[in-house]
Amino acid sequence: MLLKLSMSSMRKMMKDYLVLLVGLVISISIFYMFQTLALNSDYTKNNSMISSIQIVFNVGAFLLAFITIFYIFYANSFLLSLRRKELGMYMVLGAKKGKISQILFLETLTMGIVSLVIGSLVGIALASGIGVLLMNLLEISTEGYYAFYLPAMLMTWGFFLVLFLITSTINAIRLARATELALIRAEQQNDKIKSKGIGAVLVAILGVILLALGYTCLHLLMYLQALGFIVGAISCTIGTYLIFISLLPVLVQALKKNKKLNDSKLNAFTFAQLRFRVNNLTKILGTVAMLIGLGVGAMAGGLAFQQNVNLFTTVFHVYDVNLHDPVETDYQALKKMNVLEQNTYRYKVDDKSFYYLKEDLLANPMLISTNSIQNYSAENKPKRVTEPLPKDVYIMNATKEERGNIDSVPEDWEEAISTNLANNYQLMQGKSVRIVDQVAYEGITGSEHKVLVAQVDDYLKYTQDLKEMDERQKQLVASIVNVKAEDVYTSSKYNTYAGMYIFTSGTMFMGFFLGIAFLAMMASCLMFKILSGAARDKDRYSMLRKIGVRQSLLVGSVYKELFMVFIFPAIIGLMHVLIGMEMFSFILLDPYLNIWIPTLIFVVIYAIYYYITVQLYRGIVLPKEA
Amino acid sequence: MSTAVLEVKDVQKIYGTKGESQSHALKGVSMTIDKGEFVGIMGPSGSGKTTLLNVISTLDRPTEGFIEIAGTNITQMKRNQLADFRSQKLGFIFQDFNLLENLSVYENIALPLSLQGVSSKEISTKVSKVAQTLGIEEILQKYPVQISGGQKQRAAAARALVHDPAILLADEPTGSLDSKNAKSLLETMTDLNENHQVSIMMVTHDAFSASYCKRILFIQDGKLYTEIQRTGDRQQFFKQILDVLAELGASHDVR
Repeated sequence: MLLKLSMSSMRKMMKDYLVLLVGLVISISIFYMFQTLALNSDYTKNNSMISSIQIVFNVGAFLLAFITIFYIFYANSFLLSLRRKELGMYMVLGAKKGKISQILFLETLTMGIVSLVIGSLVGIALASGIGVLLMNLLEISTEGYYAFYLPAMLMTWGFFLVLFLITSTINAIRLARATELALIRAEQQNDKIKSKGIGAVLVAILGVILLALGYTCLHLLMYLQALGFIVGAISCTIGTYLIFISLLPVLVQALKKNKKLNDSKLNAFTFAQLRFRVNNLTKILGTVAMLIGLGVGAMAGGLAFQQNVNLFTTVFHVYDVNLHDPVETDYQALKKMNVLEQNTYRYKVDDKSFYYLKEDLLANPMLISTNSIQNYSAENKPKRVTEPLPKDVYIMNATKEERGNIDSVPEDWEEAISTNLANNYQLMQGKSVRIVDQVAYEGITGSEHKVLVAQVDDYLKYTQDLKEMDERQKQLVASIVNVKAEDVYTSSKYNTYAGMYIFTSGTMFMGFFLGIAFLAMMASCLMFKILSGAARDKDRYSMLRKIGVRQSLLVGSVYKELFMVFIFPAIIGLMHVLIGMEMFSFILLDPYLNIWIPTLIFVVIYAIYYYITVQLYRGIVLPKEA
Repeated sequence: MSTAVLEVKDVQKIYGTKGESQSHALKGVSMTIDKGEFVGIMGPSGSGKTTLLNVISTLDRPTEGFIEIAGTNITQMKRNQLADFRSQKLGFIFQDFNLLENLSVYENIALPLSLQGVSSKEISTKVSKVAQTLGIEEILQKYPVQISGGQKQRAAAARALVHDPAILLADEPTGSLDSKNAKSLLETMTDLNENHQVSIMMVTHDAFSASYCKRILFIQDGKLYTEIQRTGDRQQFFKQILDVLAELGASHDVR
């Protein structure tokens, strides 16, 4: 009988359960997709590239799991709050507490299993759709990657089943602790009004100071290093919570103290509701702000790394093509490109050294980058090497004995040569590099080679040709030194780009999914937390309606109040992201590149949750008028 | 010469749609309340007195009939008009959930004025005036949890009166008060009625409370049963009420 009752009441609250279900399905399916990417060992073996980002997906799955625990707790406490009265009534009618706890336990578990089944299916679809799309994008072979992967599935089921078991047990225990009367009268408990005195103002000031300190630490991370990061992270976190604990209530209080504003329309009520919320939701609002920071940060960070790959490679490589002993095919390929500058330099190799011909170098001096990662600016254009080379011979990369009293290669020339000419350590085999004049060059007995250096209009247009060139260079190096072609590492612009691109795209992909899942979970935690208190507000709205407040005014009040509750953590969270991204500036050239994309994604997700919250809240406190 | 502040004509209220099981909560009730009257509505549970109050207070619409308050026909009004009408012409005191416990007493009383867009300064004057009338100036800055039940009902009365409504509607206002506080509230209402010319309609099932009224309408099974007028003192009126109630009970048993 009770089972039947519980079924029917679940059906009645279908909408609320559906919201919970959607959240769980998102979490489960993304968790599963991460697991297929992290655990698929056959696939990993086939792709040495991808193994480096495996750890990234494992970390992602762990973070996701962590936030899911919070989500389930909040969602369940909301659903329990909706049903307290009903459950209390069963008890008053003589149903045993044990029996009700048992039913509640079964309900939570059933809910969990249903969401696991749907989540797994969605997860498989996600993995086969988006996972494969990702790999195509990265040009990684999908061989050995299966959307349905048993270990990943087992991991997902195992993990979430344990999670659901724990939450349903806690649910049942929570109910067992409450008395019948407390359940029935759940809605009639009053708000406690705590007035905020001077202490709160001091705490608020402390919060702002801590936040400022944290931001400064992150800003100066380059100088403060690890210590700066630890101090920055801790003081930012504490500062955030303090702000929500005191600054926000103080602000709302100030809003209420403004008599003119407070006396206008329904403001007195709206502010009072808001004051109650900010006083009671301090912890969750602080947490939401932090997690918005992390979620948007994960997206922005992943994106920034990926977007910076191009800038990054440009900092090191002015020239797009560096070819040792180019062959006919290389020239053919170059002809297809829009070449801005192309020079060839001759050199000889003997068993001691690489000898570059001074006259070739001086005839076409190379460009070198004037940018560094520490102080990057798009304004810094490459400069041409102008240092004169009056001596007959210069040396670099040499031991002390070999160097003797030969002059060192001037600084700019050294940079130009090591990035463009003597740029392959496997080919160099630890030999020294000398610049010699025509006379000396002719007297050297070693084999003669040449190296071609070229700059094109936009190397990203020619990635396919550049890739093939790179392959041929690998073959060449392999034929000279005793290494397998696939083990040759060329430090060409293309190779640097491709390597970083795969890693950063993996990170970006993970960052996006994690960010989205984070935000969805967090926003729904906030939603459930707000909704769990809604039943209590019912009488207030019904009374306002009786004394003649227009429905539109009441609805407006709901929108306004919840907007403020949602907007505060959003502002603080986004501020964290904007300032926090600065800390990447010592490894990233422009951490803010395209930051509007994650910001927009966040705003959209958050706005959707805000809207759903308002609608559900409205449904609870403002029944449809006849 | 007194004029009607409330006129109810042949009001019917049917719950449920045709074909389904319908229940007739009101079966043609007519009544008038003149300006400055203190009228009680009595009747056993299920008699329809709450439904009558709901349709008069515009919270519910009558199925048939016509209701006029302060010269305005409210049966044809739109939803928003009704809300505005309530906030301007009616004052309410309920049994409980009278005050918003998250607002101070001052804010609670000010609310109807705020809704009408009255300036902050004027609100302040009006609130202190009505608070003085009801003797609650001391507690204006307190919150409902910090004051007694009697004070809460006084504050509720203040809120109901602050905007000078045409009529004060009270639904079991003494229902959750102890006898001392109940008596004090009823005396206040009498004072408002006698010395401030406030028209009051009070729904109650408590004979003692009803004895403070000037006139009482009895409802049974959705119809007006009888009406008595207070002529002598309150004790005498109280006995009169009990007699009618006994009669009502007897007719109940016979049926």
